[in-house]
Amino acid sequence: MLGLFRKELKSYFNSPIAYLVVLFFVVFSNVYFFFFNQFFSKNIATLRGYFALMPVIFIILIPSITMRSWAEEKKTGTEELLLTLPLTDIQLVLAKFLSSLALLAIMLGATLFVPLTVNMLGDFETGQIIGEYIGALLLGAAGLAIGQFISSVTSNQISAYIFSVVALLFITVIGEAAIIFNPSAWLGKVLSYLSFSFHFESFRKGLLDTRDLLYFLIIIFYFLYLNIKVIKLRK
Amino acid sequence: MIQAEGIEKKYGSFKAVDDVSISIGRGEIVGLLGPNGAGKTTIMKILTGYHLPTKGTAVINSYDVYKEPLKVKESIGYLPETAPLYTDLTVNEYLSFICDVRKIGKDKRKEAIDRVISECGLEQVINRPIDNISKGYRQRTGLAQAIIHSPEILVLDEPTSGLDPNQIIEIRKLIQKIGKDKTIILSTHILQEVEAVCNRVLILNQGKIAARGTTEEIRREMKGDFRYSIELKAEDSEKARASLSGLDTVNEILKFNTSSKGFFEIRLSVKDELSSGEAIFDWAVKNNCKILSMIPEKVSLEDLFIKLTNQGEGK
Repeated sequence: MLGLFRKELKSYFNSPIAYLVVLFFVVFSNVYFFFFNQFFSKNIATLRGYFALMPVIFIILIPSITMRSWAEEKKTGTEELLLTLPLTDIQLVLAKFLSSLALLAIMLGATLFVPLTVNMLGDFETGQIIGEYIGALLLGAAGLAIGQFISSVTSNQISAYIFSVVALLFITVIGEAAIIFNPSAWLGKVLSYLSFSFHFESFRKGLLDTRDLLYFLIIIFYFLYLNIKVIKLRK
Repeated sequence: MIQAEGIEKKYGSFKAVDDVSISIGRGEIVGLLGPNGAGKTTIMKILTGYHLPTKGTAVINSYDVYKEPLKVKESIGYLPETAPLYTDLTVNEYLSFICDVRKIGKDKRKEAIDRVISECGLEQVINRPIDNISKGYRQRTGLAQAIIHSPEILVLDEPTSGLDPNQIIEIRKLIQKIGKDKTIILSTHILQEVEAVCNRVLILNQGKIAARGTTEEIRREMKGDFRYSIELKAEDSEKARASLSGLDTVNEILKFNTSSKGFFEIRLSVKDELSSGEAIFDWAVKNNCKILSMIPEKVSLEDLFIKLTNQGEGK
């Protein structure tokens, strides 16, 4: 499994995708935070605004990481190699997921200079920033699991990307949409509870709520499980 | 060894493989022949664990494809129809990845990679990205990944596809060398390849086995397919023709041409090679004809293939 993990991670960096994703993420999030969000003029020692943007950026970036995952293997015929190597379906799905998670971690790691720099300007809470990073990692991991599943049921990268963007957009904003269209109070609550934004909110405030943690873990495991089922069904 | 009993594979309502049984022992190279869509690739996919059969059992190297798929996958080397390559990796990186997944220890890895590079003639491209190498080299890289772990069983789907004539000869020699003490099943469209490399052949048509055995055995099974080319001297051609076609042993007179006055070239389809030869000689003596030459023709594998696969379509 480690062999496939290493190969997958290497493949990200053998193509321009990984560099573009990391570059876009770092440049866009910083330009937005420091210029459009006017971090300096607000004079508040918090990175909440920085992390508030994560769910939106992830809708565009996560699918670009996962779109190749299975769709490209099917297109080039390497899926036949993978499924005849001595690896279980679980190992195949996990190796792919963990390699994309590693890329996400690298992407988030590339933003660490932001808290390290602004920390010198004011009294930032380290615990809050750590919570925000854990939340971003979980949010991204859930998106990766969904994107990887969609890649397994589509036959080319473009379809995988488009369907993943739509799926992530839906699950991210479903809570807000419920409020806008004003459905009955209970339905609004349920839809809101299902959305990424709702569960990311506490992390954004630097809180580690086990319900939110559990929510993201359930999403991750559920979509990885579906991915394994798709591989089994193909046999 | 490979032991498959009554395997069937359905895709929806379409039966790609229908009640196929195969037994291949160690040291055997068996060729799968058949027209497109006959079920060759599906059988190979079942034997490698890529697909599971809808019915029947397949045991590979003593491991059941259902119960111990990982053991099956450890025992086989597989080259699919399209060489499965990661084109962003170099040949060396790709083979290292296969070593990683196949758990070939670091101490043995260099030796394994060097061996397949030499056997498959990849010395010139080892550090080049697969994206930049020719189709022939790609095919050989695919073959290298299939044999890097010295598998007990090798499943090769059109292994010489895309190779030039010299490369084809080299790869055939390699397959024959490996086949001496391993089990190999290969599919091909090149009928000469089967005769050159395989000990036995399975001819598939519409998902079923149409014939099996050595090419000689299949020829013998296809009764009525022995042919003779005869040069004959006879005074009355029409009389000779009529009495010859009346012989029990003669199926059909395929050709009866006059080469010069009193000399004829005849091509016959007969029921049995030995007894028919004797009967024709007796006939010539009885009818005052002189046989100048009589050459038994062997039915080519192409003829058998066309006959077997057309029979299936006729049904």
